[in-house]
Amino acid sequence: MIIFPAIDLKDGSCVRLKRGVMSEATIFNADPADQAKRFQQAGFSWLHCVDLNGAFEGRSANGDAVRAIRSAVELPIQLGGGIRDMAAIETWIEAGIARVVLGTAALRNPALVKDAARTFPGKIVVAADARGGKVATEGWAKTSQITPSDLGRKFEDAGVAAILFTDVDGDGLLQGLNVAATAALARAVRIPVIASGGVGGIADLKSLMAAREANIEGVVVGRALYDGRIDASEALQLMNGV
Amino acid sequence: MRPSVALIDYGSGNLRSAEKALARAAEEGATNHDIVVTSDARVVADAERIVLPGVGAFADCMAGLSALPGMIETLTQRVLEQHKPFLGICVGMQLMAAVGREFGDHSGLGWIEGDVVRLAPSDPSLKIPQMGWNELSLSREHPLLSGIAPGAHAYFLHSYAMRPDRPSDVLATTEFGGAVTAAIVRDNYAGVQFHPEKSQVVGLRLLGNFLTWRP
Repeated sequence: MIIFPAIDLKDGSCVRLKRGVMSEATIFNADPADQAKRFQQAGFSWLHCVDLNGAFEGRSANGDAVRAIRSAVELPIQLGGGIRDMAAIETWIEAGIARVVLGTAALRNPALVKDAARTFPGKIVVAADARGGKVATEGWAKTSQITPSDLGRKFEDAGVAAILFTDVDGDGLLQGLNVAATAALARAVRIPVIASGGVGGIADLKSLMAAREANIEGVVVGRALYDGRIDASEALQLMNGV
Repeated sequence: MRPSVALIDYGSGNLRSAEKALARAAEEGATNHDIVVTSDARVVADAERIVLPGVGAFADCMAGLSALPGMIETLTQRVLEQHKPFLGICVGMQLMAAVGREFGDHSGLGWIEGDVVRLAPSDPSLKIPQMGWNELSLSREHPLLSGIAPGAHAYFLHSYAMRPDRPSDVLATTEFGGAVTAAIVRDNYAGVQFHPEKSQVVGLRLLGNFLTWRP
C-alpha cells in the first residue's frame, strides 16, 4: 500500500490545517522543495500536494512552489487544489505532475471529469469528501447527497484512475482514519481508493492493512508525519509488508 | 486467443499493483496481453510469459512457491527448457539464485549461480532496508532496457540483494554504499530488484519491454 506524504501549500509554505480551516494553519516548512526532498530521502514513493490557496480561490496559487517541488525530487506527484478546467489540468500534466486531483470541479462538472479522464487516462483522481456517511454530489445525482459508493461508481464509469476518499470530520485532527467507510467504498468500486483524513498514528495504518482490502491503493498521511507521531521508516515497512 | 502473462500468486503480498502495471504496459504497448493472476501451474504452463513477484523473506517465499502443486516443475520446464520469457520482481528475482542467505542458507531455484546476501553499505548512515528511489546504472545494452536512459530512477525496497557469480548476468546496478545488483538477465529469464510497479515511467517501460521481448 502506498503512503502518500502530504505537502499542503499555503502562501508558499508547507502547512497543515485543522479540519480544513485556513486560519488554523501550522507552518511546518517554509521551503516546500526541501520538505519534498526530506520525504524522498525517507523512502516514500509518491508525494501528495495540495494547493490550499488554490482550493479556496478556484485556481492554482502556489504554482511556483509546486514547480520547485517537481524539479527537486524524483517522486511522482499527485496534485490537487484549484484545478477546475482542462487548461489547468493540461498545464500541470505537461509540467510533470503524474496525477491531478479534481475536487470541487469533479462535483460541479461531471463533463470535465469524463473529458479529462478520457484525455489523460490513469492521471485523473477524483476527491470525494464525506460527512456523516454522505457525499455532496452537485451535478452527479439528482439528490444533493448520496453515499460515497454510489458516487464512486459514477466516477468509475467516467474513467477516473482513483478515488481519494476523505472523511472531512476527521481531517487534521488525528482522530483516526475511517477504515470501515473506506473499505466499504473500496469494495463497491473497481477503481482504486486512496484513504485520507485523520491519520493520527501507526495504529490507523495497521487497521487499514488489517482491512485486507486489495482495492485500497494507499493512504494520505499529513500532520502525523510532521509531528513525529508516525515514523516514516516504520510506516513504510509496515505498508510495504517488509 | 490472446497471449497471456501469468503473474504467480503464491501468497506473497498484494499483487494488485503489479497486475495493474502489467495491464497498463500491455495497453500502452498495444500488445494485447491478458494478465492472469494465478496459483495454478497449468495456467502458468499455458502462458506466453511468466512474472514472479515476491515480498518478504527468501525462505518464506521459496516455501510458498514450493507449496503450489507442480509450480516449480512447471517453471523450470517452461523457462529453462522451453525458453519462455520470465521476469522475477524483488524477492521473485532473488529466488532465481542458487542460495539465499536470509535467516540461514536456503536453496533457491538455482537458475543463476550466486547468492542473495544482506545489504552491507560501506556508508554507515545508509539504513537497511534500502527504501526509495535510486539511480540505475546500466551495465550494458539490452532490449529490456530499451528507452530507459542512463541515470533513470527506480523504486527500491529491500534488505537483501543478489550477488551473481557471473558478471555477464548483471544488467544494471544501483549505488547503495557500493554497487548493488538492480537487474539481471540470462537468455530468456530476467529479474529486477526494484519494483517496476512502483517505478512509474521507468517501470512501465521495463514491463512494456518485457511484454515485447523475444529472447
